[in-house]
Amino acid sequence: MDLAEKLNILSAAAKYDVSCSSSGSNRKNKPGGVGNASASGICHSWSQDGRCISLLKILQTNFCVYDCAYCVNRASNDLPRAAFTPEEVADLTINFYRRNYIEGLFLSSAVWPNPNQTMEALLRTVKLLRTQYRFNGYLHVKAIPGADWRLIAETGTLVDRMSVNIELPTSESLQLLAPQKKRENILQPMKLIGSQIVESQEERKQSRKAPAFVPAGQSTQLIVGATADTDLRILQLSESLYRRVHLKRVYYSAYVPVSTNPKLPTLASPPLNREHRLYQADWLLRFYGFEAKELLNEASPNFHLQLDPKSDWALRNLHLFPLEVNKVDYRFLLRVPGIGVKSAQRILTARRFHSLDFEDLQKLGVVMKRARYFLTCKGKYFGQIPYREETIKEKLLAKPTKVENYTQLALFSDVEDQQPVQDALTSITGEL
Amino acid sequence: MIIYLYDGSFEGLLTAIYEAYYRSEKPEQIMAQQSYQPDLFSQPRVIATDSDKAGKVYDAIERKISHEALEHVFYVYLSELPGVGTLIYRYLQFGWRVGADINGHLSLEPVREVLRISQKVGVERHRMLGLLRFKKIQGELYYAPFEPDYNIVGLMAPHFARRLADQNWIIHDLKRGVAAFYNQERWLIRELAGTGQLNWEENEAFYQELWQNYFQRIAVEGRTNRKVQRQFMPARYWHHLIEKPTQ
Repeated sequence: MDLAEKLNILSAAAKYDVSCSSSGSNRKNKPGGVGNASASGICHSWSQDGRCISLLKILQTNFCVYDCAYCVNRASNDLPRAAFTPEEVADLTINFYRRNYIEGLFLSSAVWPNPNQTMEALLRTVKLLRTQYRFNGYLHVKAIPGADWRLIAETGTLVDRMSVNIELPTSESLQLLAPQKKRENILQPMKLIGSQIVESQEERKQSRKAPAFVPAGQSTQLIVGATADTDLRILQLSESLYRRVHLKRVYYSAYVPVSTNPKLPTLASPPLNREHRLYQADWLLRFYGFEAKELLNEASPNFHLQLDPKSDWALRNLHLFPLEVNKVDYRFLLRVPGIGVKSAQRILTARRFHSLDFEDLQKLGVVMKRARYFLTCKGKYFGQIPYREETIKEKLLAKPTKVENYTQLALFSDVEDQQPVQDALTSITGEL
Repeated sequence: MIIYLYDGSFEGLLTAIYEAYYRSEKPEQIMAQQSYQPDLFSQPRVIATDSDKAGKVYDAIERKISHEALEHVFYVYLSELPGVGTLIYRYLQFGWRVGADINGHLSLEPVREVLRISQKVGVERHRMLGLLRFKKIQGELYYAPFEPDYNIVGLMAPHFARRLADQNWIIHDLKRGVAAFYNQERWLIRELAGTGQLNWEENEAFYQELWQNYFQRIAVEGRTNRKVQRQFMPARYWHHLIEKPTQ
């Protein structure tokens, strides 16, 4: 089988992995070497589904011993199989990299014939790139659950990011859809990688020469909508991963039907809106100081699809608002719907020099459509409607997304109001 | 209305700012000579570029205002947008008064405008670091043509000099006829109008085809979203890409 055909098979097999981030590492190039990592990450293209292409995302092989119902590469699925040699992967990576197509390599693998041999193959490829090809660009490699820790640890010293995909948030769903896998086996390498990262960061504080271990951190992925798990359950899991295992990112992937297994739901289209809400909430956990239990509870365990999680929270806590924009401190500023990290920082800078008006806020990038109901400027409230949950909620509710892609425009209709363009955008970037 | 005209270079612009400070005849506008249209009311004054004077302004911005302000001024200059000469003049006039705090005064139009334009130039630079495509020419040389909105080739060269340190490359701004040349040791910028016929390395077509196929395969069909794709990667940049997004 020639290289082109292998690339076709093994890239199509890898596309359901969401992660493509190339940020968080500032690996330097070495004399005689090629490549470096950019701390901010660089996107090199955007595919037809609007997702950023930053890394060459491929599987080492798609031969698999597992038969997980949700996975396109499951053993019982009849599709062409292939395997790369380490040399082939290295050659592709280097040649794409030298032409500036990519920022680095995201190498994953199906498990064949057992976890150890799979992990060994990944390690061989990574080693070849780093030593023989003197490649110093970004590498993201999967840790294979069940593989010997020494193999995973050695890989960790060579790459920028590692990830283990949890995929299904609870043991029950795992039992239902992937009975060959054990939750403990998945979580164990994550914990080990997490503590090794913390340890190496400590060592590097003492000595700059101490070797780096997975400098861009660890990530994972959860599938949304393949099982009955609630948003609350998923968000709590993410929260504990961030707090206890020091994960850098949790990715959420709306389930795209790849099988007609009766254990799986039949969906007309992937639950993209739900995935979007989870990303918004994820950002609230990491950058806005929220906790999962503030956003959701057992009584309402799923996100409102027409209302973003922060607005939803603010409406339930109207007694904390409205806040005076010229006085309130950063922590609370971040909790105002329509104010993001950047605009909150701009507000802090700007108000050192003069006190802010309603018009100033607009220029600073605050989304007044939402923020106006929760703020006062110099003591004045600009909401222009009674300060009650129902009235504000009515204003904030996004119009349901239209099924048709045309609309009859009325002479005085507000076009901007009708299309949640921003939603479509942020569902990809995950940024609020 | 007094208008100072400079030769279009950054040094020229800084010289004009120097003169505006010391001459009694204060300008209302500062613009590049090429973009000046004579009219009934304007009184043009041609400013001769003087690297000593320019150097003084350069140091003064860094010392009396901030390094950050200097960077913003340079980025705004590179945008080549109409009116940026005057804008930079107004920004600095205010900067001499308030010093390092200048960028906190977001309520002032020139400050906001400088930050906005500087950000746009920075965004395009970052975008092109990803979207630039090299093709391999016979004789171990990589060639990347592009047509950016702003004059950013000099902002991109250091990045590729670090990253692709062990290859020879040329980054060619076709729109402005300038290019950055790198020979595995250092880079420099020279004028380069055209290239004539280029002979591609024999493997070039093979890797281009692999990349095109990869680009098609990596999209998830159920999630097609052309709108977002175009938002991040505007169609005006597609011409020089190897991959072919469909309209």
